[in-house]
Amino acid sequence: MTGVQAGGERLLAEHTPARPRRRPLPLLAAAGASFVVAVALAGPLLAPYGPAERLGLPFQAPGGAHPLGTDLLGRDVLSRVLWGGRVIVLTGVGATLAAGAVGMAAGVLAGLAPRHTGDLVLRLVDALTVLPALLLMLVLAAGFPGSDLAVVAAVALATTPFSVRVLRAATRRVAATGYAETAYARGDGRWAVLVHDILPNIAGPALVDTALRLVASVHLTATAGFLGLGRGAPAPNWGRMVNENLPGASLSAAAFLAPTSLLVLLSVCVGLLADRAAGVVSGEGR
Amino acid sequence: MSWAVYLGRRLAGAAVTLVLLSCAVFAATAVLPGDAVSAVAGPDASAAERARVRAALGLDRPVAARYADWAYRAVHGDLGTGFVGHRPVADVLAGRLPNSLLLAGLTLALAAPLAVGLGLSAGLRAGRGADRLISTLAQVAAGVPEFVAAALLIAVLSVRLDLLPRVSLVPLGGGPLDAPRGLVLPVLTLAAVGTAVATRLIRVSAADVATSPYVETARLNGVRGVRLALRHVLPNAAGPAVQALTLTTGVLVGGAVVVESVFDYPGIGRELQRAVAARDVPMVQGIATTLVAVMLLILLLGDVCGWLLDPARGEPR
Repeated sequence: MTGVQAGGERLLAEHTPARPRRRPLPLLAAAGASFVVAVALAGPLLAPYGPAERLGLPFQAPGGAHPLGTDLLGRDVLSRVLWGGRVIVLTGVGATLAAGAVGMAAGVLAGLAPRHTGDLVLRLVDALTVLPALLLMLVLAAGFPGSDLAVVAAVALATTPFSVRVLRAATRRVAATGYAETAYARGDGRWAVLVHDILPNIAGPALVDTALRLVASVHLTATAGFLGLGRGAPAPNWGRMVNENLPGASLSAAAFLAPTSLLVLLSVCVGLLADRAAGVVSGEGR
Repeated sequence: MSWAVYLGRRLAGAAVTLVLLSCAVFAATAVLPGDAVSAVAGPDASAAERARVRAALGLDRPVAARYADWAYRAVHGDLGTGFVGHRPVADVLAGRLPNSLLLAGLTLALAAPLAVGLGLSAGLRAGRGADRLISTLAQVAAGVPEFVAAALLIAVLSVRLDLLPRVSLVPLGGGPLDAPRGLVLPVLTLAAVGTAVATRLIRVSAADVATSPYVETARLNGVRGVRLALRHVLPNAAGPAVQALTLTTGVLVGGAVVVESVFDYPGIGRELQRAVAARDVPMVQGIATTLVAVMLLILLLGDVCGWLLDPARGEPR
């Protein structure tokens, strides 16, 4: 389980009505997140140097040819920042989608399955939930050293159990209401009930769950980079850049502050959007 | 149900979970392709050399047999010897785990009162401005990776103001308490994350209690403010709050791995990260399983405390 997801299921079940108000914050958050994603995806096209080119002395202060200075091996920090976001964004989004697909399928099926089967699934999920996400990631990374795909799989695996819980609960709530009963009585098949009655009614919780999972995935992906998991050393990665350049903090703070600020902006903006999504879905004023 | 039956059930459940998870840890480290042979023999070893190392490490035997063997010894207190440096895993645990527990204890001492205070004041005003502010801040703070929070604290307190050391250097032969200034930044970082996570969990249970009929009655009778919080809400929210805090320890265990690595703090998390980097399989298995066992124990304690503190306990869930 990750910290962001913990307690999220209650976040969903709860209603906290408030006066509807105009909110500029979600818009700002969306703009901030888009900015970081744009930097991450388009960055390699704009970078003045290659990510692994050694151009000068280590830990030069910002200025001249290197607007953000150089890093521990004398590489251009700006270029590495522009190259190093892609893996974070792609891994984070990839893991969110993978976990979403698995969590949705398992959660809905467990919700519709006979009670015993559903309970068994929940037991297994609970056992996995105990495992700290980071421990899971470290252990899996030990098995597949240097693989970005292993990081995607580990992040997905760490965030899925929570989704299964949330979506199973949502499915059971819907299945227990009149809609599904009526549809079955009408003679609709299981598939038709699933598509027309269950899925549209769990769309809200599923959306909030996806948002929380995205926050958790970004968190874990960046941390994986920091701990040196995934593709090895010369590959640029915001998380790893923080790790590499912290020892030179007193020489050039820009070298670790540049990737740090982008990660702060990304996680704060995605977090605000998730919070907003939960607010809208739980029935608060738009 | 008597408390003995309740405790027995919970212990059995925790034991089953521990066995399941230790199987999973063992499988992940022993079956996956990046196995220990390449780590020990080196990437350029010949096939014969690899086979020799494989046999010497006992890796040519079936996985199930290896697990049974490992589990049998682990139960008797022998977690094996690390591949790198040939240190007994149990010795490493004995040396590093107390340091991590110290870090966790200090973090909890700082984060728990903060989280209870913030969670209660938000939960009692559910839906109002103060609640929105606290909830949103906690939600956002919980999403910021630990190492990013640590880097920000380092930038301000260590680089800019030069108040605190950037790494937790521990004097040779001493413990972290011999250099207490080195503990401040790790504890602050972990406490920030822990407070954010626990606040959200406590807020939810406080909000539940605050809208319950008996609190409504107390309110209508004119009980307000601190008195309402302490006399009527806290006793009923205390159980869930303790459980929330124990749930947070899972997050802290993960966070500790990162924070110990950032500050080079001599704890069990940094040891685990090093073992993973060196593909020291017995060390990873021993440390990971021990951490899971510690966590299960804490969760169990939290459940029992929550049950004991529940004024309406009759049927444990």
